[in-house]
This record gives sequence, structure tokens and C-alpha cells, in this order.
Amino acid sequence: MDLSQFEEDNTVSCRLSSPIPDICKTEDCCLGIDEAGRGPVLGPMVYGICFCPVSKKEDLKGLKVADSKTLTEEQRESLFKKLDEAKSFVGWTLQVLSPNTISTSMLQRTKYNLNALSHDAAIGLVQYALDSGVQLKEVFVDTVGPAEKYQDKLSQRFPGVEVTVRPKADSLFPIVSAASICAKVARDHAVKGWKFLEDLGEVDSDYGSGYPGDPKTKSWLLKYLDPVFGFPQFVRFSWSTAQTLLDSNALPVHWDDDEEDGEEEHQLQNISSYGAQAEHQLFINDTH
Amino acid sequence: MSTKKKRSPHTENSRWVVIAADSIVDVPKTDHGEPTFVRLRNPATGNASLYLFGSGDTDLYEVKAFTEDYHSWFIGQTVQRDGRLLYITPMDPLYLLLPYLQKSGAEGKFQPVEQVVKDEEFPGCTRLLSCTRSLKSLHHVAEEKEVGSLKFHRFSQEKTLDWLKKKVERTVGALRRSSISVGGGVKSSTYIRVKQEEQASDEDHLRYAHGLISEYISEDLSKDLLKHLHLPELSSPKQEPPAKKRKLSDGPVEAKDDYTKFNSSDFSRKPPKKMSAAQKSLAKVDKSGMKSMAAFFSPKVKQEKK
Repeated sequence: MDLSQFEEDNTVSCRLSSPIPDICKTEDCCLGIDEAGRGPVLGPMVYGICFCPVSKKEDLKGLKVADSKTLTEEQRESLFKKLDEAKSFVGWTLQVLSPNTISTSMLQRTKYNLNALSHDAAIGLVQYALDSGVQLKEVFVDTVGPAEKYQDKLSQRFPGVEVTVRPKADSLFPIVSAASICAKVARDHAVKGWKFLEDLGEVDSDYGSGYPGDPKTKSWLLKYLDPVFGFPQFVRFSWSTAQTLLDSNALPVHWDDDEEDGEEEHQLQNISSYGAQAEHQLFINDTH
Repeated sequence: MSTKKKRSPHTENSRWVVIAADSIVDVPKTDHGEPTFVRLRNPATGNASLYLFGSGDTDLYEVKAFTEDYHSWFIGQTVQRDGRLLYITPMDPLYLLLPYLQKSGAEGKFQPVEQVVKDEEFPGCTRLLSCTRSLKSLHHVAEEKEVGSLKFHRFSQEKTLDWLKKKVERTVGALRRSSISVGGGVKSSTYIRVKQEEQASDEDHLRYAHGLISEYISEDLSKDLLKHLHLPELSSPKQEPPAKKRKLSDGPVEAKDDYTKFNSSDFSRKPPKKMSAAQKSLAKVDKSGMKSMAAFFSPKVKQEKK
């Protein structure tokens, strides 16, 4: 898998795609959606779609794709190779959401939660397939949040496409398994080849699973915690694990949308300290 | 790494971020000495303010700070906690001399200025007299008498008001040139105006300029100047004192509708629960579409088998 496009700038979100098989533009197609790297505090989250003609569903079963979680890394690699070799009828597209994208989305002034981010990534990928001429008839998705709500959302967004949202869809539908393999392989590669923007010297790559519960991950986070800047961009700042470590180990930083106790009183104090004579408007304007 | 948590207390910063004309700072080393910061009595508030004397005390500059909450500096490879930006701008020393002249003027005597401009709290004020502009412009605010080689001055209210009026008029000119919005409805210049502001009247400009000059003179003088400019006092409602916050510890307050809840003797308002930083940040997250924690522990609803 060629991730060079993402590696060039791993601060943003990036879309990677296989060529669209011609057969997908003429025949009715099914499409599976899955994601990899939703939970870790480290690295990107990858959304993947895989699509093929409905008539070729059986061929896909022949590839023995299965839920990526039940496979070893080597098995996933070889299955992805097989998928790539089946490029005459199988296409895939990925959306790599960098940890920085996740951090800045979730921590911006108007909060953008992970579910919304996930839904939008999925919607964007389906739209991309439609825009590329894929004759979409069926979409299968592993659920994010309540299945029914998500199904309604997707159905409304894509009228004329039959949407099935099901928990564990990655083990029920081969096309979703295929998508999950693409996503997982991309995530593995992105994490392994991570180029740190920060000048950290030789980076210790022993961070364990990257999941918040992993003690190795936690000690890695502490090791690379800078009192002023916090973590490298490889870390999702919006994760409570990261926040908690920052709260206790980094210097306090106050933002103007912090809801600190006593903030109002502080402001009142400021105004009254201007003295008996109210300061002239021009000076006040200039400083606000 | 062990020093991470230790924070130096909010001490005064050793560094300032300053905007100043090159001509103030880059002075050739001469016998006159370097520019120096001095605390002097602010003519409007009577409190200490920071000023700068140019080299040789020939010029006076005021130091103004741009301060806003939630600002910090990145300077080279360091961080400076206070995001202050200091401006050093030329200042007419006469504003600072005025309070001293005015005070002695109450005695109605002609006096040498050296005798008048004295301040135990701010001994630096005598340096104001070295400024090139000071002695030359005293006649704007005081009557002069020369006896031999000695000069004597007496504060004159009329002259001062005429001088201040000229200042206001010049400020009006500057306001017009820099297109500063002065209309009564203007609350903040940072809001983007869609329409070009309708022509502000002369009175708006005059009033605004008067306000600016009032930053440099006493409150009484500001009021006199308003009259001198023939500007009627605004009939706007007086500024209300900031609403006082009710202290939570105060006993029960008279209830508006529901009296019953105060009947129990141990009634006291509970202070709002404190949340940890993590809880706070979690509370801010948009939770739409997420399962509640309880959902994982409630008995599973049996799914209908199809």
C-alpha cells in the first residue's frame, strides 16, 4: 500500500484510492464500510470502503476475507495483496484521519465529536464512490453509535441505496471484512512509518498497543510529554488519557473558552480597577 | 524533569515586548545618558504610571500596555507568560506638569516652576523640566512674569482651557484622518461594519476627542473642558454600579414565589459541584449518538428472532 501521500503531510486528513474497476461503473455494486484505530490514543484513525459488483460477492468469499481482528498482521497483509490483485472487480478507498485532525476537531471551539467525525468520514467515502461512477445499490456498515439512527442518517443521505447498519458487520458481510482489512493495513503502515514532525531525535517506538489502558502506552506518553507543548502530534490530545497526563504533568494553559470557576469575578475586578474615571472607549476597543 | 511542576510565582517579568520608534532606542552614546524608564504621577488618575525619558531628558514618552486575558508570547526558544505589548509613544510633558501648576495656582502667586514641580513620591518629576518642550510651552497654561533673568509663572484656567481646546481640535483632525469610528452607537471597532458608517457629526468627533484628552487631565478639568467646548452634558443614564453577586454563604434570600423551601431551618444553598478538568472537558463533548454508560449495564432487551 502506498501511503506516501499521507506521509508527506501527516497533520491532515488524506484520501487514498485504488483505481475504480470498470465493471463497477456498469453493474450494480455493494459497498462495505469499516474503520480501524478508533480507540487508540496514538496514531491516525482510518476509514475504509471496499466495493464490488453484487454479482461478484461469491468471488469475494473465495478470497476468504474475514474480520481483520481475527487475523494476524501477516494474514492481513496477504489478504490485502489478494484484494489488490482482484482489481478487475474490487475497488477500495481510504480516508486517513490524522491524530492531529482528530485532536483539533474534538477540541475546537464548537466541539465535533468522534462519532460525528466518523459518520462524516463514512459519508464522504460513499459520496466519493458515487462521484467516481460506482453503481451503488447496497451499503453495509459496522455501526458507530446506535445502529438505527445511523442507518436512518445514511439512508436519508443516499436515497436509492439500500443501507444496512449492523453491529459486527465486519464478520457478517465479506465486503465489510474487505473494507476492514484495507483500513487496518493502512493504519498499521501509517503508524509504523510515522514521521515525527517534532525534533525528538531517535524516537522510542516501544509504545505498546497505543490503547489508553496499556501501561506501555502510558509510560511512552509520559516520556514524550513536554511541559509547554504537551505531546507530539502523533498523540490524540482529545483523549482523556492525554488530557489527564497534561493536567498533572504539563504547565497549565488557559484558553478563553475555559469555563473556569470565578472567571466572571475576575472580569468584574478588572473593570473596576480601571479607576474612578472610566477609561476612554478607544483604548478599551483597541484591547478587545 | 522534577522541576516541571514547580512554577515560579507570578513575578514581574524580566523581559518586556515593546514597540518603539528606532529614534527613541537607537541613540548614539553621548554624555547625555541613555533613555530611562521613570514612574511619574499620572495626571488623570494621580497614581503611578510608567514613562520614558529620551536620552538627555529632552523628550518624554508614555508607556501604554496592550493587555488581554489568555495571551502569551513565544520569544525565540522561550515562552513568556504575559502577552503584554508595550507601546512607547511621544507625550507632551505639559500634561504631567499641569497638576503641579494647577495646585500651586490655587495660591494665586507667581512662582518659579522649579519650586512648583516637586513631588516627594515621584522625585523624577523635576526631570520633566529638562524636556525641550516644557519651558517653551508653559505659557500655554500659565501667565509669565520676568524679573531680571528669573521667570515666574502662575497657572491660568482660561489659558489652559484654550490650550486643551486646541488639543481637542487637533485630535479631531487626527481622528478624521485615521477614520476612527466615533458615532454614538459604536461599541467596538473590532466588529466588522457592513455599511460604511453614516457620517458622524462634528459633535460626535468633538465628544470623542474630548474623551481621549480626558485620559490625560483630571476629572474636574475634563468637566470644565466640556463646558468650554460648549458640549452639553450627555443625559445618558448614569453608569449603574456592577450588580453585586450574592454570596453563596449568605443566609436565605427572600424568595420570590416559593416560600416553603425556606421553612426548614437548615436550608442553605449548595455550592455548585466542582468538576475536575477531565470532567469539564468531557462535559463539553457533543454526546449525540453515543450510548449512555447506563445502557451497558441495563438488562438486555431480548431481540426478536426473525
